[in-house]
Amino acid sequence: MPELKSRLLQALIAIFGVLTIVFFIMRLSGDPTLLLVPDGATAEQIAALRHVLGFDRPLLVQYGAYLLDLARLDLGQSLVQHAPVAGIVAERIPYTMALAGGALLVALGVGLPAGLAMAVWRGTWLERALAGFVLAGQSLPTFWSGLLMILFFGVYLGWLPTSGSDDLASLVMPSVALGAITMSSFARMTRIAVLDELSRDYVAAGRARGLSYGAVILRHVLRNAAIPVVTIAALEVGNLLAGAVIVETVFAWPGIGQLAIQSIASRDFLVVQTIVLFVSMVYISMNLLADLAYGVIDPRIRRDR
Amino acid sequence: MRALAFSFPAMLLAAGVAFAQPKDTLIVDLPGDVATMDPHLQWDTESYTVYRNIFDNLVTRDVSGKIVPQVATGWRYTDNTTIVFDLRSDILFQDGSKLTAEDVAFSVRRIINPALKSPQLSQFDQIISADVTGPAQVTLRTKTPYPALMAQLVKLSIVPKAYVEKIGDQKFNQEPIGSGPYKLRTWQRGVQSVLDSNDSYWRVKPPFAHVTFRAVPDIPTRIADLRTGRADITRGLTPDDAEALKGDKSLQVMPVATERVAYMFINALAGPTKDKRVRQAIAMGVDRDTIITALQQGYAKPVNVVLTPANFGYIADIPGWKFDPVAARALVKQAGAEGATVELLTSPAYDRRLNEAIQQMLGEIGLKVTITMTDQPSFLRRRQGSPEEAGALSQGRWSCACQDADGVIFPLFRSGSIWSKFNNPAFDAEVDAARTILDATQRLVHYRRAFEILREEVPGVGLFQDNAIYLARKELKWIPTANEAFFVTEMTWQK
Repeated sequence: MPELKSRLLQALIAIFGVLTIVFFIMRLSGDPTLLLVPDGATAEQIAALRHVLGFDRPLLVQYGAYLLDLARLDLGQSLVQHAPVAGIVAERIPYTMALAGGALLVALGVGLPAGLAMAVWRGTWLERALAGFVLAGQSLPTFWSGLLMILFFGVYLGWLPTSGSDDLASLVMPSVALGAITMSSFARMTRIAVLDELSRDYVAAGRARGLSYGAVILRHVLRNAAIPVVTIAALEVGNLLAGAVIVETVFAWPGIGQLAIQSIASRDFLVVQTIVLFVSMVYISMNLLADLAYGVIDPRIRRDR
Repeated sequence: MRALAFSFPAMLLAAGVAFAQPKDTLIVDLPGDVATMDPHLQWDTESYTVYRNIFDNLVTRDVSGKIVPQVATGWRYTDNTTIVFDLRSDILFQDGSKLTAEDVAFSVRRIINPALKSPQLSQFDQIISADVTGPAQVTLRTKTPYPALMAQLVKLSIVPKAYVEKIGDQKFNQEPIGSGPYKLRTWQRGVQSVLDSNDSYWRVKPPFAHVTFRAVPDIPTRIADLRTGRADITRGLTPDDAEALKGDKSLQVMPVATERVAYMFINALAGPTKDKRVRQAIAMGVDRDTIITALQQGYAKPVNVVLTPANFGYIADIPGWKFDPVAARALVKQAGAEGATVELLTSPAYDRRLNEAIQQMLGEIGLKVTITMTDQPSFLRRRQGSPEEAGALSQGRWSCACQDADGVIFPLFRSGSIWSKFNNPAFDAEVDAARTILDATQRLVHYRRAFEILREEVPGVGLFQDNAIYLARKELKWIPTANEAFFVTEMTWQK
């Protein structure tokens, strides 16, 4: 287990680094005082509010105070909402998890079979059709494809709600919009990985033993092709959280992506920092999980270490 | 997926009620969530739109914009800095307790207490005391004679003293109780606020049993909600959206001229625009009619000064600068500024097309405009900083939410104000005088002289009176107002 320990230590250092960078970058471009006061407030009034909010202290003092609070697991109060940050962010996390889950389901459910089909039926019309589909998923910007979906399925056909988070039907369009790019990554990775394995000797050997082509693929090829796909899956969680920023705004889905945009715009520092803390923790732990999963899938990696 | 359904039972319930009886529930799509329900804290448009339906105000404005009684029945000045309010005694808070003079005095003291950290403080800090001086009477004192006091008090919500003191500021922000026509049922952060009618409301019968304010950031999504009937009214449309929706039979576009003035700031203290002739040339080089017809699609009214007719102090007969690019070009040449570089400072909060139009128009008269785009806080820091770093030009949309010239040209052009890059003792004297006398006729005399100086010196140019554009289902009957108040009691639904 010393391996795991050093990985965890690395993760902690990475999170600390991210926090520090975000803390200072947010403050480089000014504090929220100017955004909070009415048009026409005087310099004295602005200075007074800045003092009350504590932004007239030296940056390093603010940073120290922040770390001290963090060490006591106190995430602080939102400047804008006058409420504890922990609650504000925690309320939004289930929404983003549901959305990321839906998107991952779309991505895996469509991307894996598509990639497999593209490898197995290489050079046929099916591959070319699927390649076009994958390319579309990868290249259409979500703020545009999302809007088209709203207009077509929401307004024109009336099948799905145009916005909101009221029920499962509301989750369909955001999941598809968010999952599209990840779906394309999965499809491409699966195709390459499966093609790579199909040229191996064990495929011919399996066939020689009398196994059907389908059985060889299901029992042997897929298992070997899984390693690069699992890596991608872990990294894609990061992409999903990043993409959620736009998708949540377009579909009025109240997750942390939308909250992040609004908090950055209003300079609600502590909310932004808490979101970054959460996202980087998710990202780093997904990578850690992916590493551990290799060992489960492929015992050789376990032994090499 | 079951986890999702499991985690939002309250939401499903709320949605069920919201959609089962569309006539009972008015659904409003707002661009964002409420920041605070406590009316003494944030005053962004979203928060304001929602909590003003939960609370009563000391005074309010009628549809024509006149200040009329609400909690106060009347008021009189006993001297220049002392004003006595007589109050109604038949108003109940939503917890059944009576609204008294103590509550009114408490509300004033609360918002002027710096410890509350209210960003609204600067609108009320001319008030130095609020005292109960009779069973239904409160007396306010101001630092100096303060003519804008009544206009500011239009925005003062009355909160229940006993309740706030009992549960504390933090909890009050989550579970507010007012005396207004609606009471808060649920507030799901980032999702929606649901209000129920207060059936014992003293003033009128609330027109809808429930009102749901949803947070929908994207304009096209809000429009889609309106088209499918998922929402009944929304705000924040652009003129282009409004034009595109004109043919839709089930919807109505509702524009209203607001007290927000679109203007261009011109730095009179630094750079090429320090020369008055260059500033006058800029005023003549900007084609406001084209801006209004081409960029605003007609959703704006021209103004001749940096103020709108919705504000007290607007002087209609002061001539604006006529569009005259030939004369402007000659003036630039005369000032020796031909080919001079002028920096237009801006942020994404402002209309990019207007910046580019101004760049083009001033290019025609011989000035080279460079556009510097930064984020909003950086923009504000430079714009409010020293004249040397404030840039030569920037566009702005100004609203003091007080409908008074004092809230506009004083902060924008009075020397010493953070926004002002203009130093003119005669102008200063006029606006100083106008803010400390109570007599309206005398104030207008000062504002006339102040605007005459601004016309000649051009530390800024008024472009147009901005519109707020609402989109509603056809059945909704409502007249939006210049101060962008969103009182649900003013609305009705007609099938």
